[in-house]
Amino acid sequence: MRLTGAATAAAAAALSLAGCAGRQSALSPGGADAAALGTLFWVMLGGAVLLWLAMNGMFFYVTRVNASAMPRRLANGMVIGGGIVLPTILLGALLGWGLSILPDQRQPDDGLTIRVHGEQWWWRVEYWPEGAAAPVVSANEIRLPVGERVGFRLDSDQVIHSFWIPSLGGKMDMFPGRETYVSLEAEAPGVYRGQCAEFCGESHAWMAFEAVAMPPDAFDAWLDAEAGAAAAPEGGAAERGAALFAREGCGACHAIRGTGHVGQVGPDLTHVGGRRSIGAGRLAATPEAFAAWITHTDSLKPGVRMPSYDHLSDADAAALAAYLAGLT
Amino acid sequence: MRRVLLTLAALAALGLVGAAATVGIGLYNVSAQEGHWPGVRWVLHTTFRNSVELRAMPEDAVPDLSDPALAALGARHFASACAPCHAAPGADRTATMRAMLPVPPPIGQAVGEWSAAELHWIVYNGIKMSGMPAWPGREREAEVWPVVAYLQDVQAGDGALPPPPPELPADAPEHAAYCAGCHGSIEGHVPRLDIQNAAYLLEELEEFREGSRQSGIMEHAASAVPEAALADLAAWFAARPATGTAGEGPREGAALAMRGTRDVPACSACHGPGATRARPDIPLLEGQDRHYLAVQLRLWRDGVRHGSELMAAAARELSDAEIDLLAAWYAAQEPRDAEEVAAP
Repeated sequence: MRLTGAATAAAAAALSLAGCAGRQSALSPGGADAAALGTLFWVMLGGAVLLWLAMNGMFFYVTRVNASAMPRRLANGMVIGGGIVLPTILLGALLGWGLSILPDQRQPDDGLTIRVHGEQWWWRVEYWPEGAAAPVVSANEIRLPVGERVGFRLDSDQVIHSFWIPSLGGKMDMFPGRETYVSLEAEAPGVYRGQCAEFCGESHAWMAFEAVAMPPDAFDAWLDAEAGAAAAPEGGAAERGAALFAREGCGACHAIRGTGHVGQVGPDLTHVGGRRSIGAGRLAATPEAFAAWITHTDSLKPGVRMPSYDHLSDADAAALAAYLAGLT
Repeated sequence: MRRVLLTLAALAALGLVGAAATVGIGLYNVSAQEGHWPGVRWVLHTTFRNSVELRAMPEDAVPDLSDPALAALGARHFASACAPCHAAPGADRTATMRAMLPVPPPIGQAVGEWSAAELHWIVYNGIKMSGMPAWPGREREAEVWPVVAYLQDVQAGDGALPPPPPELPADAPEHAAYCAGCHGSIEGHVPRLDIQNAAYLLEELEEFREGSRQSGIMEHAASAVPEAALADLAAWFAARPATGTAGEGPREGAALAMRGTRDVPACSACHGPGATRARPDIPLLEGQDRHYLAVQLRLWRDGVRHGSELMAAAARELSDAEIDLLAAWYAAQEPRDAEEVAAP
């Protein structure tokens, strides 16, 4: 019985530790900001464990080892020293350290600013390279160059959201009508995952995004391509999908630069096929996922503004999906 | 005390027996030949007057009714929907109508000195157990104002029936003149049909007829002609060539219609103008009546008009100012004819 309990505890510990790894974890940092926060966390955890052991050690000592009455002076000293002085020093030191980290998380950018606007429940993204007159408009994915500090100017449409890429840094709330700022510096190339960290409505849990840290050269090339107009995908299905996109009025809400579609309500789809996910981190961006999203929008993301186009035949949905997946 | 209570109980029991006999055996004579007992007429009429006065909206909520198109539209509707009972001003009610109980007063007498708000309440709500029907279009209170405008003309003594419907070409199907009495004849508040295609017009007519699209005027009109006639009517009106030229529309309206905002989808993606003309079952809006467009956009936004999830979602965030801009801009565009615009 005791063995089984121990085994269960070990398994649970292993599982929960496994949860600390991965691409959406503050404890497997991919950048200096997350590393600083990680250090803060580990020091606090270590200190808490030490304090817990010391407290329980003292409990054990005064109840089991030496249960006789303690001299009054020693008792008073323990209460004042251990109960007031020590916590004040420790908490003061931790507060000072924590506050000293805060400005680091808001350092000015090295040239690139990304504006992120929280919507219900997705992310409007604009890249503003230094000196740019107009942004490169995208959505639901963040790309950033490794080794450069990138500034994020954040706000929101209707309710409070929170912008958080745990592997890259701390979270920052996004408010309607008020801009907040956080900066991040990725150190290791990789694909991380961001998540809205402030409850914002029924599909809050589905409001995520992929954050791709790229070597600077690759990032510059990507941004150049992202700034360009859409290249019409070739192939029978994709061409039929382009006509369907017009026929179904998709352009009322979605823009595809280089076509007549200029809607602004939903995400810009100019290069949607080049993103790693669709529906703000809801599904991996495969043609099948595009078709599922178009026809079952509301069940995939309850409350979403986009209506489900469930009147489309399977062939039409597949054609539209081929077109969208081809917009790389 | 005990005797008093017993007497009361006995009386109550007798009353119940009497009521049960009246209803259950049919003792009450429902004959309209007999008229009412003395005093009943006074009770009913006083109740009616006071009920209307209590419930009518305040007079300052009455919109401006001076646009002559309103009274013209009201007159057309009156001629088709109301005149069978109330008769045209100066005309006689039929002997059958005069034998109703209560008898519908001739219109010159029915309008009495009711205020605009009170007339609106009566026409929209109808009068229970009097034979005066409620407005067929649920939640279309504002649609009653043209009738009120006409009834005010009647009160002023100059409310005559509208001129006879226009002469139509010989190829016009039966009942087309009835439709053309408003569509194409009244400037304002009435949508033009020449810019639409037959499939769209027929679908709307069928929705009016089965009551899934709400309009007291059009539900009446679409049910006043035989169902079998609707397809020919839709085809004939759709085939009329769309005429008209471009006017001056507000520039903000153009931006809103062509690009939308972050809250409002671009109307043009489905309705045109532009290369991205969508499905043929979606109506064209260029050159459409401004008042009609504004009213319909509000109905979509407020959830009164439904039947298209897309359009309901598209209109949800529109402000009143945006609706007026869009309506004014589309009304000023050069009309296109849906019969000639091919879908991609």
